[in-house]
Amino acid sequence: MSKLGSLLRGWRLSEYLVIIIEVCGSIALGIGIATSLLYVLGFDPGKGMALLLGGGFTDPDYLLSRATFIMMTGLAFSIPLMAGLFNIGGEGQMYVGGLVSLLTAIYTGNLLLALIAGGAAGLALGLFIAALRVYRGVNEVISSIMLNWTLYYLTIYLITNTFYDPLAPHESIKVPLSARLGFISINGFKLHVIFPISLVFILLAYYVLYHTKIGFEIRASGLSPKAAKYASLNPERAMIYAMCLGGFFGGVAGALNVLGFTYYIDTLLTTMYGMGFDGIGVALMGRGHPIGIVFSSIFFSMLIIGGQSMQMALNAPKEVADALSGIIIMALALPYAYRMVLSYLRARRLISRGSY
Amino acid sequence: MSELAVEMRNVWKVYPDGTIALRGVDFTVNKGEIHGLLGENGAGKTTLMRILYGEIRPSKGLIKVFGKRVNFKGPWDAVKTGIGMVYQHFSLIPSFTVLENLYLSLTSLKRNISLDYVRKLAEEIMSKVGFDIPLDAKVEDLAIGVQQRVEILKTLMRDARVIILDEPTSVLTPIEVEELFKTLTRLKKLGITIIFISHKLKEVKRVTDRITVLRRGKVVGVVNTKDVNEVDLARMMVGREVFLKLKKTLVSPKESILAIENLWVRDDRGLDAVRGISLILRKGEILGIAGIQGNGQKELAEAIAGLRPVIKGRILLENEDITNLPPYLRYRKGLSYIPDSRSIGLILDLNVVSNSILTRLRDFVGRGTSILWGKAREFAGSLTRRFNVIVESLNTPVKYLSGGNQQKLMVGREVATLPKVIVASEPTHGLDVSATEYIRSLLIKLRDMGVAILLISSDLDEILQLSDRIAVIYEGRIMAIGKPQDFTLEKLGLLMGGVKVE
Repeated sequence: MSKLGSLLRGWRLSEYLVIIIEVCGSIALGIGIATSLLYVLGFDPGKGMALLLGGGFTDPDYLLSRATFIMMTGLAFSIPLMAGLFNIGGEGQMYVGGLVSLLTAIYTGNLLLALIAGGAAGLALGLFIAALRVYRGVNEVISSIMLNWTLYYLTIYLITNTFYDPLAPHESIKVPLSARLGFISINGFKLHVIFPISLVFILLAYYVLYHTKIGFEIRASGLSPKAAKYASLNPERAMIYAMCLGGFFGGVAGALNVLGFTYYIDTLLTTMYGMGFDGIGVALMGRGHPIGIVFSSIFFSMLIIGGQSMQMALNAPKEVADALSGIIIMALALPYAYRMVLSYLRARRLISRGSY
Repeated sequence: MSELAVEMRNVWKVYPDGTIALRGVDFTVNKGEIHGLLGENGAGKTTLMRILYGEIRPSKGLIKVFGKRVNFKGPWDAVKTGIGMVYQHFSLIPSFTVLENLYLSLTSLKRNISLDYVRKLAEEIMSKVGFDIPLDAKVEDLAIGVQQRVEILKTLMRDARVIILDEPTSVLTPIEVEELFKTLTRLKKLGITIIFISHKLKEVKRVTDRITVLRRGKVVGVVNTKDVNEVDLARMMVGREVFLKLKKTLVSPKESILAIENLWVRDDRGLDAVRGISLILRKGEILGIAGIQGNGQKELAEAIAGLRPVIKGRILLENEDITNLPPYLRYRKGLSYIPDSRSIGLILDLNVVSNSILTRLRDFVGRGTSILWGKAREFAGSLTRRFNVIVESLNTPVKYLSGGNQQKLMVGREVATLPKVIVASEPTHGLDVSATEYIRSLLIKLRDMGVAILLISSDLDEILQLSDRIAVIYEGRIMAIGKPQDFTLEKLGLLMGGVKVE
């Protein structure tokens, strides 16, 4: 309660009101542009928009499960970013997490072990990327992108060659029943248990970032490496911690996908492909904050599923759905851009007043 | 008799935050002379020259170059008028060859030129001024003095007739300085006008024809170099009319607590910045290190705080060797450091609570590794109350605090636990009068409580007001050490400018 009170003291109510108006305005603008685009392209705009924005809610379980994975890859991007690193490798960390947890599940049949192994594999990959950066000066963007592809093909190779299911050769051997995460049912509503589990991971991330020395070191180092050094914190160590944490959550994304949703990996990785990159958008939209990421992941999930259902119903190409989602996401960034322009103009005015 | 190359009349510069850098400066340079521009830090030398080079615009004032009124929109206009600038930090691309660098700087003026043309032009000018720069060598392989010559060549190739050199000797070795002076004399013979910015009295006296002295944004004198000696220049540079007296009791010397023995430290470029300094700091005294910025003060402070490796020598705290201890262990032993910049001592995007525990995080970590935010809030609250930090809420990011409040928070945090030794670097830099007075009296109060304070400041008023002993630093060496009454302003000025006095 006192926390809320002091929060309100720092932020005046009118400021909140302005923000709400800005957000609503930009959503309306985004929907307006998207609708006119559909109209121009010759699709039924009303039906299209209804499906794009509403399609996700026809199956709430799917909406939340889908959000689970990009929530985790969102953390995989946002935590390293706090330490000043661009982890583009959420994709690869997810593959390796999925692969290792699948293999662990197959060989041991132990759920907990498989989940931990998946996370640990992602962590190890993150550690590797961070070590390359800190000790060898290899840019993390380059190494993580290259590792994405290495792991993409390695996983496909292992699935098609060794671990394929003889009955369905385009799929891997299934996760044994003993190692599967199932459903919980609330008043008859069946929900994949991975969503509540991911919320636990979100809380874990929040705790580590905002309530531990490690989190403090990560945040302080990212904001000002010089000040961190002065305060006896170690920005390089912070990078390693942050990449380990990010990699861990990337690995967890893959593990939850395999152990709790698909129960296998297909030979083209279609169930995971692209989710690491979606995580970047999720993290940015959630302003890098774990709680913000929960909401932005659900929002992204809504647009992704809505886009798919619109595609099918209107017989529209995939690009149209992507373009529309893009327009709406960009519109949401408008208040931020608008504030930046305002402060830029204010600075300009001050300077010109000062010198003339 | 002589024509004016540069004429600046009644130039004012007021920055948006209200700082007045120049207060009606008149500055004239004759054609073909070497003109020295002398002054302490913050006197306005660089601001004045940046205005002449079109980098910043004056708030008011008239500028004429070779008799023609100019109104520069940017450095490109100044370059076209024949003004060249050589910065203290060069603007060359290290991995490019000299020729490529020259080509780059010329293409911005003339399109469609070939490398061969640039080579021919460069060789022509080099033979005229007596340079011998290997055009095909990479810049990063060249000595600093040669790189500086590349910069001079660059300005000449752009037809500069007035060359501004900003503290050109600060990066050079003594031999390179001699070479530079020869070059300057040669350029003068070719009819090129040179403006030489410096605070080194000896060099200004040696190489210039006339000197303009700036102090606090005003011209205090324009003199012919041959009519003055270094003592006159020093008096003009630092001369002060008033200084505020703070109440200060006399101290009797107590036992020493911090000893520095023959300390050698390098700067970021790998050059020796501190060259064999030995000092002793006693309990309950303020030892002021006076000097012009960039003479090794920062490196000295960082070496004591443990942020910069020591090349040679020892640092002893209460007779214990701490030379190789990490910073937090020194902190624990009672040595705290107030850095010269708030952007180093604080993390501006974090809130007051986080910044209050920044350097003492270990005291606020509970079981495991979790931070005790409740305890941290209490501490932040007591800090803000004790040190009069005005904040709207403890959750406010410190970037929204005024400079004075930020400084009070930072200083307060460092002195709150009553350390044994405080290294304070420019503790009142950029503060208004009341915040300055607050911090200064706080330092004296701490001294009276027995804390030993090493005060590093380029503000002479501050040094004279607070110090029980003064040491003057110049080019990484202590020029002299003694009681404040042993120094006259004149003597301090001479020592800070590198002139030994008896």
